[in-house]
Amino acid sequence: MPERLAALAVDCGNLPVSGGLLAIVRPALERLAPGGVLALTSTARSVAEDLPAWCRVERHDYRGAEPLPDGRTRHLVARGPLGVARVLDGAGDGDGVDDGDGKMPERADPSSGFAPRGARVEPGGPAYPFTLVERARVAPPEAAQLYQQALAAQWDAARDIAWSAIAPLPPALDRAVGQVMTFLAENELSALYVPSRFVARLHPAYVEVAQFLSSQLGDESRHIDAFLRRARAAGGLGVSSATTSRSLLSLLELDDFTEASFLLSVLGEGTFLDLLRFLERHAPDEPTADLARRARADEARHVHFGVAHVRHALAHDPTLYARLEAAVARRAATLSGSAGVPAPIQDALTILAARGDDPPSVARGHEAFRELLADMHDGRIKRLLTAGFTLAQATRISDLHTPNFM
Amino acid sequence: MALLVGAVAYDPKVVTIWEGLRDYFRAAGVPIDFALFSNYERQIDELLAGHVDVAWNTPLAHVRVKQGSGGKSLSLGMRDSDRDFRAKIVARKDAGLRAVAELAGRKLAVGSRDSTQARILPLHFLKREGVDLARVELVPFDSDLGKHGDTGRSELEVLAAVADGRAEAGCVGDLVWVSEQAAGRVDPSRVEVLWTTPPFDHCMFDALPSLDAGAAEAFRRALYAMSWDDPRHRRILELEGLKQWLPPREEGYQSLREALADLGG
Repeated sequence: MPERLAALAVDCGNLPVSGGLLAIVRPALERLAPGGVLALTSTARSVAEDLPAWCRVERHDYRGAEPLPDGRTRHLVARGPLGVARVLDGAGDGDGVDDGDGKMPERADPSSGFAPRGARVEPGGPAYPFTLVERARVAPPEAAQLYQQALAAQWDAARDIAWSAIAPLPPALDRAVGQVMTFLAENELSALYVPSRFVARLHPAYVEVAQFLSSQLGDESRHIDAFLRRARAAGGLGVSSATTSRSLLSLLELDDFTEASFLLSVLGEGTFLDLLRFLERHAPDEPTADLARRARADEARHVHFGVAHVRHALAHDPTLYARLEAAVARRAATLSGSAGVPAPIQDALTILAARGDDPPSVARGHEAFRELLADMHDGRIKRLLTAGFTLAQATRISDLHTPNFM
Repeated sequence: MALLVGAVAYDPKVVTIWEGLRDYFRAAGVPIDFALFSNYERQIDELLAGHVDVAWNTPLAHVRVKQGSGGKSLSLGMRDSDRDFRAKIVARKDAGLRAVAELAGRKLAVGSRDSTQARILPLHFLKREGVDLARVELVPFDSDLGKHGDTGRSELEVLAAVADGRAEAGCVGDLVWVSEQAAGRVDPSRVEVLWTTPPFDHCMFDALPSLDAGAAEAFRRALYAMSWDDPRHRRILELEGLKQWLPPREEGYQSLREALADLGG
């Protein structure tokens, strides 16, 4: 922000107060520090009558007028002490990325409302109901970069997948594809709804986080569209199981942004990376493999953000380790009694990997499914270690993770 | 027991202002309640009768309370905007007026007869300047009588009359004049200021001398502690038309006392 001036001179020609003079005077006063003096030259007679009255109402100090040799009059106005707009406390001295609009503040002031970060805010505005106002809990330094990556990586589900290349499969395989796509779409719906609960709570000082989440919502919308198209191409949708429904409700009910990011993105979407890789490997055709590959690239970005978010929060608050582990345990308790991976998706993944339903193939498919579960566990451990957990914590957390994958 | 403050309901926003002030004072440890009157004459009577503890008064009401209490009433505080108020004589440019002395034989729009800033004092000051008011053709706008000019309606009527030529000049308070100018609602090619009156003071919180000294002090302290830059106070201050509450002063009402004496009241 430019420094405020102690003195400034402006020429207002013959403008009267009611005819544009204020458009010169108000911005000039805004550049002055309180008590700073504006010297205003004018040839308009009425200014001597009207400017003092305006100053009185606006609480500026009209210091008088003097005639100049050239016939103009010079009026002196000292800027008053009220309504001095400034960049709010902290916005500018954080250690976040400074993109020229000021750094993210450690703590954001709810009374800056929707004022963009770096704008000078007139004091006295109303407090907004933003509750996510601490940088350490909300805004990892990677947010802006991940948002830019998301923008560059957008794709179009209708245009970019070769839908016309999809041919009918054997009935058992088509039913398996329809079931897997139904499961994916259902889970992606939860990934659309869960982050959206936090966007409006985020203080705009951390707008990069809101922007990233909005890109995540866009990704999930596209995935839902694409998965449902694939299900329909396979002859229709499959079953939504009660276990899946219970698991996703426990995500939707989370009220803490960091817990939600941890359970949804680090653990849930993280596990989905392995699921999508499995799908790509065992896809019955290239369009389905392409779809899985594209969705996985998007999900990897969400996981990256989730890990960065949690790692950043953990670095500032060591008590968070225990809280996140407790959140996983609480969720596991609400899901207890669920006997493993929901049967419809377990069977569909097995048939998909078997590429048919003859018993020898199904044996191979089942083996592939068991390997998938092991890969998912290993992947979770790896991501939890990256986020900052110990191996013991990571193992406990991964073991407690929902059998629904997400 | 909460102090009962009287105010005149000159606009629906008065309810918002006083609900806000009541909550603010309560939070500041000085419980108040408020009673709204439809006109200042009744409010003055009720204060002098002891039915309300404090009254938020126009300058005319303030001077009447002083008179009615034998000069003993207490003044508790005023707005920054109440100090050094002035009235403006504005004129049509095509009227060719160069000085107020030339108002003789011209049409001068004036506000309500109980408006200090749009009628009583500008006419008083013009007379003091040597203008023969008997030779000025007054175009009066007696709107909202009893509200002492609070609504500003008669001043806007004065400005409209000058703008459209029903009068060649008019009297308005500088607050209305400045707001209309700053909002871009004055056509500078048609209307400009001709003269500015000497300063005078405007509204005041009045109380009877029987008000408990501690209560009066607590009221003052809480009032002065309101801050323009505090979001919790800002809206009330904006609605009430001030940026800061200030201690009272009496000398700013001398011209009004003289004007009323001159009018025989």
